[in-house]
Amino acid sequence: MEARILEFAALLRKHGMRISPAESLDSLLALQSTGLGTRDTVKEVLRATMVKRSSDLPTFDEVFDLYFSALGEAIRESGEQAAQALGTTLADYQKLLEQLEELLKKRQEQQGGNELSELARALLRHDDGTLQRRMREASESMREGSGQSGKQEGQLGHAIGEQLRLGEIVRELEGLSDELEQLGADAETAAKLRELIKRRLADLADIIKRAARLEAARENPKPKDATGLQSLGEKSFYYLTEDEIRKMKDAVARLAHRLKHVVSIKRQRAKRGAFDLQRTLRHNTQFGGVPFDVQFDRRKKNRPQIVVLCDVSDSVRNVSRFMLQFVYSLQDLYSKVRSFIFVSDMGEVTKLFEDHDINEAIELALRGDVINVFAHSDFGRAFKMFHRDHLASINRRTTVIVLGDARNNYNLPHEWVLRDVQRKAKQVIWLNPENKTTWGFGDSEMDRYMAFCDVVEECRNLNQLYRVVDRLVLS
Amino acid sequence: MFSSIDDVVQQFAGQKYICSRSIATVVYLASKMGKPILVEGPAGVGKTELAKVISRCLDQELIRLQCYEGLDEAKALYEWEYGKQLLYTQILKDKIGEVLAGTGTLREAVDRISAQDGVFFSERFILPRPLLRAITSEKPAVLLVDEIDKSDSEFEAFLLEILSDFQVSVPELGTISAKNIPLVILTSNNSREVSDALKRRCLHLFIDYPSQAHELEIVKLKVPEVADALAADVVSVVQSVRKLDLKKSPSISETLDWARALALLNVESLGEDTVNDTLTTIFKYEGDVRKAQTELRDFMARQKARTRADGQPDPADKDVLH
Repeated sequence: MEARILEFAALLRKHGMRISPAESLDSLLALQSTGLGTRDTVKEVLRATMVKRSSDLPTFDEVFDLYFSALGEAIRESGEQAAQALGTTLADYQKLLEQLEELLKKRQEQQGGNELSELARALLRHDDGTLQRRMREASESMREGSGQSGKQEGQLGHAIGEQLRLGEIVRELEGLSDELEQLGADAETAAKLRELIKRRLADLADIIKRAARLEAARENPKPKDATGLQSLGEKSFYYLTEDEIRKMKDAVARLAHRLKHVVSIKRQRAKRGAFDLQRTLRHNTQFGGVPFDVQFDRRKKNRPQIVVLCDVSDSVRNVSRFMLQFVYSLQDLYSKVRSFIFVSDMGEVTKLFEDHDINEAIELALRGDVINVFAHSDFGRAFKMFHRDHLASINRRTTVIVLGDARNNYNLPHEWVLRDVQRKAKQVIWLNPENKTTWGFGDSEMDRYMAFCDVVEECRNLNQLYRVVDRLVLS
Repeated sequence: MFSSIDDVVQQFAGQKYICSRSIATVVYLASKMGKPILVEGPAGVGKTELAKVISRCLDQELIRLQCYEGLDEAKALYEWEYGKQLLYTQILKDKIGEVLAGTGTLREAVDRISAQDGVFFSERFILPRPLLRAITSEKPAVLLVDEIDKSDSEFEAFLLEILSDFQVSVPELGTISAKNIPLVILTSNNSREVSDALKRRCLHLFIDYPSQAHELEIVKLKVPEVADALAADVVSVVQSVRKLDLKKSPSISETLDWARALALLNVESLGEDTVNDTLTTIFKYEGDVRKAQTELRDFMARQKARTRADGQPDPADKDVLH
């Protein structure tokens, strides 16, 4: 029992779940207190003690079904189906089996000790327990023989068959079906028995196939989201597939959650200032100078003001979607965020983001309602517009974040705008989704703009975005 | 104490809480193994209610600790009653004078006072907060730590220490260990991942929205005044609405609210008007209401088709005939 649970835990681990020894131990203790009971009880007990993440539940269910029942059920099912397939009732089938038993006995007497092998007998007698044991033994000894990892289902099935000496069993049983008449069975029974034997051989092949599938799942676990996300983290925004874009959305949403959490802790720490002697004395004169009510400095809350300028031109189309999502999360998080998008015009989307939910808002922003998104990028022109209309809203507490590739189509860069902005703002941060080595080549004006930014970061994938956010929040 | 998993199901049913077997299994295990339960799931599926029901079943006091951003030890564990200490020193000024009478040097006076300071740092002046109360309570209790995900991760680490040892050290008093180990239930709405260390110490329970049959059972049990046919309609509307991509899907508590509201309004079957008027009971966002309305229109159309198939004249048809 213990061994099976531990093996199951190891299998779950292979499928990307994190199960510590403490948890396997817990599950054993738990099973002790409930007793084994039904299969469902065991499943629920294991689920309660082993699964600690709701996202792992489907994996657990899948692996549990695979490990705890696949084989047993397959063997049982095949037995039941055999009766149906032969077109007899269960009682007739039983009788047939009895006749077979007698014939086998007779055969043993005639030939003296030349008995059928254990597996062949178990197969014919529907000895499910023995079958299951032999199957497991075969799988185990195959596993001990090294080098099966990475094998496909078919190869594994072959290997299991070899372990079971499938060839010999087939020969044995075929021999038996040829001898039936000699052993004194009448023609009708013999025909039926022959069919039975054929059927059981097919069943055995089927069972082996199922065992191989189990083995394959054990050896080659499907890559789970946890590992998938890691590689996703390093993948450039530019080359995401449809499916990855969906996953990325989740990841960015989680990033926003994390951000919120970090911010809340920072605020909490800053809530209480140092002991304020003057105010304490003044306040407590009403108690005769006894300091009942202690006063602390109220620390001034540092409410960051953020202005985000997000490039949504065609060259960064894939990226801007995440960037906007990120901007949306920022706006949700801080009370004073103003969001702008630009291509060659600058347009404010703060209100849009406030009024709509995230997907809708991004859709609207990218559709071209606010600004013409199909124009050619012109950072200079857009910046000039920003200078004209919104420079006044920037003050010493404002952080300006620019998201863009700085590919300006050889237009005038107007970097003086950024200089003015930097002078007035607390800091200017530029996040560029392009590889650092390409900055400044071709129509990229990154070099010029860089001079007027406090922080310039390459932001090509999720992990880099994480790092940037960490720095943003902790600064 | 619960004697078996089935016993849990039965006792819960007695408290008007319908639970699935997985919930019962976890509750039984927790009471048997003395492990905390971490309950996760969307808001309003009965996580907090679970703790209440357990406390009623076991006839134990429910001690509740609501977590929020910035919750700290002083609010969760204990606090010295500074005001009371000060008040006592003021009132006992004379007595302190007596104690100090006859001391020659300052050092002597300080020595004498410090010999007495145990008085002021005794349990008398400690203000127990939920965690300390749960640990020191004379009778076993049920401790509900609600919305653990709202608290900061520092608090979580601190909670971890208490949940593993069930003892608290107060520097001035020494270690206070639990007289009775409370049954602990932590709930989380998953607004952030709870740390693995905490998860490892808990039995994990995920409560999702109930199945249609399950939910209908709950509605009938909790809102008996609502007619069976209406209850079925309400549940199937809510179930279908949950499939939409909403900002906040309606949960059981919203279903119950809606059923109650409809029962109060003496509604017998769902019509387009009544639905539109009462939709705000199940949706909390303007956008969700709009999204749901289209879905509901389809539902109503299906409903009409069904009544027509049943051979009952539809009220709308009648209007046309007049």
